[in-house]
This record gives sequence, structure tokens and C-alpha cells, in this order.
Amino acid sequence: MNDLWNQIDLFWTWLTASSQWHGADGIPHRLLQHLYYSGVSLLCAAVIGLALGLVVGHTGRGGFLAISIANIARAIPTFGLVLFVVVIEYSIIPVLVALVALAVPPILVNTFEGVRAVDPDAKDAARGMGMTGWGVLWRAELPIALPLILLGLRTSAIQVVATATIAAYPGFGGLGRYIIDGLARNDYQLVVGGTVLVVLLALIVQLIFAGLRRLIISPGLLGSARSS
Amino acid sequence: MITFEGVTKRYPGGTVALDDVSLDCPDGRITVFVGTSGGGKTTALRTINRMVEPTSGRVLIDGQDVREQRPAELRRGIGYVIQHAGLFPHRTIEDNIATVPYLLRWNKKKARERALELMERVGLERSMAKRYPFQMSGGQQQRVGVARALAADPPIMLMDEPFSAVDPVVRAELQDEFLRLQDELHKTIVFVTHDIDEAIKLGDKIAVFQTGGKLVQVDSPENLLAHPADDFVAGFIGQNRGIRTLSFAGTSDLRLSDDAVRPATADAADAAGLDWVLVVDEGRRPLGWTRPAQVAGALSTAPLAPVGATFRVGADSVRVALDAAVLSPAGLAVGVDEAGAVIGTAAGTDLLAVPTHGDGTHDTVAAEGDDARGDGGGAG
Repeated sequence: MNDLWNQIDLFWTWLTASSQWHGADGIPHRLLQHLYYSGVSLLCAAVIGLALGLVVGHTGRGGFLAISIANIARAIPTFGLVLFVVVIEYSIIPVLVALVALAVPPILVNTFEGVRAVDPDAKDAARGMGMTGWGVLWRAELPIALPLILLGLRTSAIQVVATATIAAYPGFGGLGRYIIDGLARNDYQLVVGGTVLVVLLALIVQLIFAGLRRLIISPGLLGSARSS
Repeated sequence: MITFEGVTKRYPGGTVALDDVSLDCPDGRITVFVGTSGGGKTTALRTINRMVEPTSGRVLIDGQDVREQRPAELRRGIGYVIQHAGLFPHRTIEDNIATVPYLLRWNKKKARERALELMERVGLERSMAKRYPFQMSGGQQQRVGVARALAADPPIMLMDEPFSAVDPVVRAELQDEFLRLQDELHKTIVFVTHDIDEAIKLGDKIAVFQTGGKLVQVDSPENLLAHPADDFVAGFIGQNRGIRTLSFAGTSDLRLSDDAVRPATADAADAAGLDWVLVVDEGRRPLGWTRPAQVAGALSTAPLAPVGATFRVGADSVRVALDAAVLSPAGLAVGVDEAGAVIGTAAGTDLLAVPTHGDGTHDTVAAEGDDARGDGGGAG
């Protein structure tokens, strides 16, 4: 208990030091960098994962292939990918590619499973009442699969926010900077400070998704057993 | 009118789902497709709204080939009801019902008003409009399914085993309301079921499909029961075929006897010689059966056996009357009028003397054997 209190105290003195709030090394700048990397990666991953997941789920074709590729992608260590790609080309792009590769599988798999699990009777009724293929996807499959899709997006978002710390390794800043610098200088306070910020950010992401869930998912889905 | 012209559906594996089916489904009537599973009845239904495209042959609606219209547009003009309702779980009841109006780009207010109107029509409370499907029972969901199919007032309704997934009590209720609704709306309905009793109850015309997609008989329910085309149909109709034909015999011509009916104020001595009498109140409503031989004084003091089932003269069939006779302690069926007042009684044997001819909602097709049964004997 005492130990935990010390950690919090350590973090608090670090956080409230005025030097933390200015310049390229200050928290606001690092936080923005971190959010920027995370946001861009997540957006790309969402576009890829949703598009593939919806198409594969809707047509019912290529499901096995898509899921297999997603699972193989999951097995690639992100850190290794970053180092490997950075050696080839020194820029932020490899870092983003690594984060996208990390984020696509949960989104893809959940979207695919969500669409596939839509009650076949509801799909048949939708078609039989005169919805086009797009209509069925847009008006029935997507909204019904939304709880699972959102879960996939949340998983990816939290992973990306936590993993974006690796951007600091090849020297692109972000909140990871504090952790890497702290480890290099044996500055324990810096390590704890950076880590706690990343954890807080992940919690905020969690809260945002809880809010989204209440806002955009139909109560008709949350009330049934299919709530996630 | 929906016309099938030599419709065949053969799947790539070689399975034949429909084998050269030709048939008419008349306007404003209920045509039932019935048969064993794998008989192609659902496939036949689905060729009408192009959910299945035939390998050869044509399906025409009022003389126009269904393939002349784009599938989505064609389907918006045809009501579609399926077994488990297939409601959209994310939409409220009113928005589920308004699905086709939304597709047809009605404005939201008009579409929702229509939905509320239909909820009443199918026997749902307007207050349920904002609920979601998971909050409804299976029977209620099925009503929503029917309302949804009716939303844009299509002249044709396709119904694929709509009442099969609910329990027998709810099913009977839904069937009765469906017939009442059809009496008001006069839609051209194609109805698929595997239940021959349902087919006979609902159908104006019945098409029997056999495994392999062969159409073996198309007939009125009366004729189907009286003259099954072959052993398959006879086997499919099953037992009690004879008793079932009584479902089409009306009770309006039945001769009922007043002999055994006595007011409660009458004295038991008046009825001496009768085995049983039916005691009625001032409004001639039945109170119960009693044996006059065992009573001294007014019948109002007598111990009464329950009336059991009664039948509505004119509205109910001879089958219902016969059932009432069997259930009555006196062996007499009690016929009542609309207000529930007793018209008279009839013995089981008298009921069977009635020629079987329809007088109800179905086309009248006289069954063979009318003359053989001869005139009905007097009641009493």
C-alpha cells in the first residue's frame, strides 16, 4: 500500500513540475504526437478492417482466408516489425504500418463474425421485402453487427494507444519517449510518469467507447443476449 | 392472378426442387402449397418474388412475367412473411412494420401512422410501437411480421410457414385472425405449410407437392378430402379423412329438437319419460343437464351436470356439433344462436344424416355420397 502511494506521489510531483508543460519535450506536445500516431493508425485499420469484414461477412466468401491472414498478422511481433522496417526506411511510416497491422485483425475478425452472425431469417426477410444487396448490408447487417464491431474497434484502439509508445524507439516522440529516456537514464520517476500517462489514455479510450456504445447501438440489441 | 407455367428448378448438383409445375393462384383467394419437406413448396413460393429463379418455365403475375421487373422493385410490391418472422432486432416494432414504406420513400410520419394502424389491425396494442422485438412473444412477433408484410398494401402476400413456430393455441388464434383479416382485405395469398390441417382450414385452393418437386393434386379442400388423387395424397391427408369432411358441412339446415329443453321453473314431472333434459334460464341460456327421473319438484332444485361444449348454429360446422354431442353427458349436441341462447339439441346420429356441403368461406363443392346418405331423420 505504501509502495503504491509512493508511486502516485512520484507521478504527481513529476506531472506537476512546470517544466513538463512546455516545449518539444513537454507533455502536451508528446501527447499530441501520441494521439496523432494512434489516430492515424486506427483510422487506416478501421477502413481496411471494416471494408474487408463487411464484404467477406456479407458475401460469405473468403471468410476462412480473411480470418487466417488476420490471425497470422496477430502473431507478428509489432516491435520486431518496427525495427525491421525502420532499417529499410527511416521514417514514421514503418511505425504506422506496424500499428495498422496490429489494429486490423480485431476489427476485421469482429466485423466478419458480427455480420455472419446476423439472423438468416432477418436477412431473408430484408431481401424478400425488396432491399438491394447494399440495402441489406447498410440497413440490416451493419447495424445488427454493431455491438461486435464496436468491441473490435475498442480492442484495437486500446492496443494501438498502448503500443504507440514504440514510436519513440526510432526517435519519433510520443509518450513512449519518457519511458525510453527514463530507462536509459535510470530515471525511475520518468518511467513511471510516462507509463501512467499511457495507462490513463487507455482508460479514456475505454470510456469513450462505453459512451459510443450507449449512443449508437440500438437498445433492441443491448437488451438481448447478444450484448457484448 | 399468379400463374406457374411449367416451372422447373434444378440445382447444379442435380437435385430437382420443382418439376414442371403448372398452376393458377386466383385473385383474392388463399392458395396453400402443402407437402412433405423437400417437396419444393417453399421453392415454388420463392419463384414468385424471384428469391429463386427457375431453371425453365415462367411465373406470371396478371399475365406479366416476373422477370420483367427488377427483383427489389418486384418484391416491394409483394408482401412477404416467413416462419420465424425475421424481424430486425435493432428496430422498434413500428419501424419494423414501416420497412417497405421507408424503402418506397414515404415520409416518416406517414409511414409510422400506417404502422400504428396496422398494429391495431393485427391485434397489437399501439403502446407496443416503441418496443423492440426481443420484448415480444413469438406469437406477437408473428403478428408484427404479418403487419410488416401488409404495410405498403400489396395485392399479393407470400407466407412461408408463418404460424409453424408458435404453440398450437396461439397458432389457432393467429389462423382465425388471419382468416378474419383476409375477409376484410381480399389479398391474393400464397401460403406454404407442412400441416395438412392448417391447409384445409385456411385454403380456398390446395396444391399438394410431393418429394422431388412434383405437383400431385390441386383442388378445393373439400375435394381433396373426398377424392385424394393417389395414395401419396391419401397418406398425407392421414387418418380421420371422413370425419374431417364434416368440417365443410354447415349446421344451418340442421333440424334441432326443442323436446329436451326445459326452463328452470318447469316441474320435473313434465319431463317424465325423457332420459336427460337441458335446463335453461329465462334467456334460454343453458344451465346444465339433469335426469328428470331423479328430481322431485322444480328443475331449479335439481343437481346439474355441466353443459359441456355447444355449437353455434350456422357458424360452426357439423364436425364441431358432433364433437359437442360426444362431449355432452346426454349424447346430445346443444345448438345456440349468436347470443348464446339455446335453439335446440340434436343427437350424434342426426348430425351424421346431414348431407355434407359447404356453406361457409370455402367454395362449395358437393362431396360424393350425398344421395347415398339420404334425407336426415327427424330430431328427437
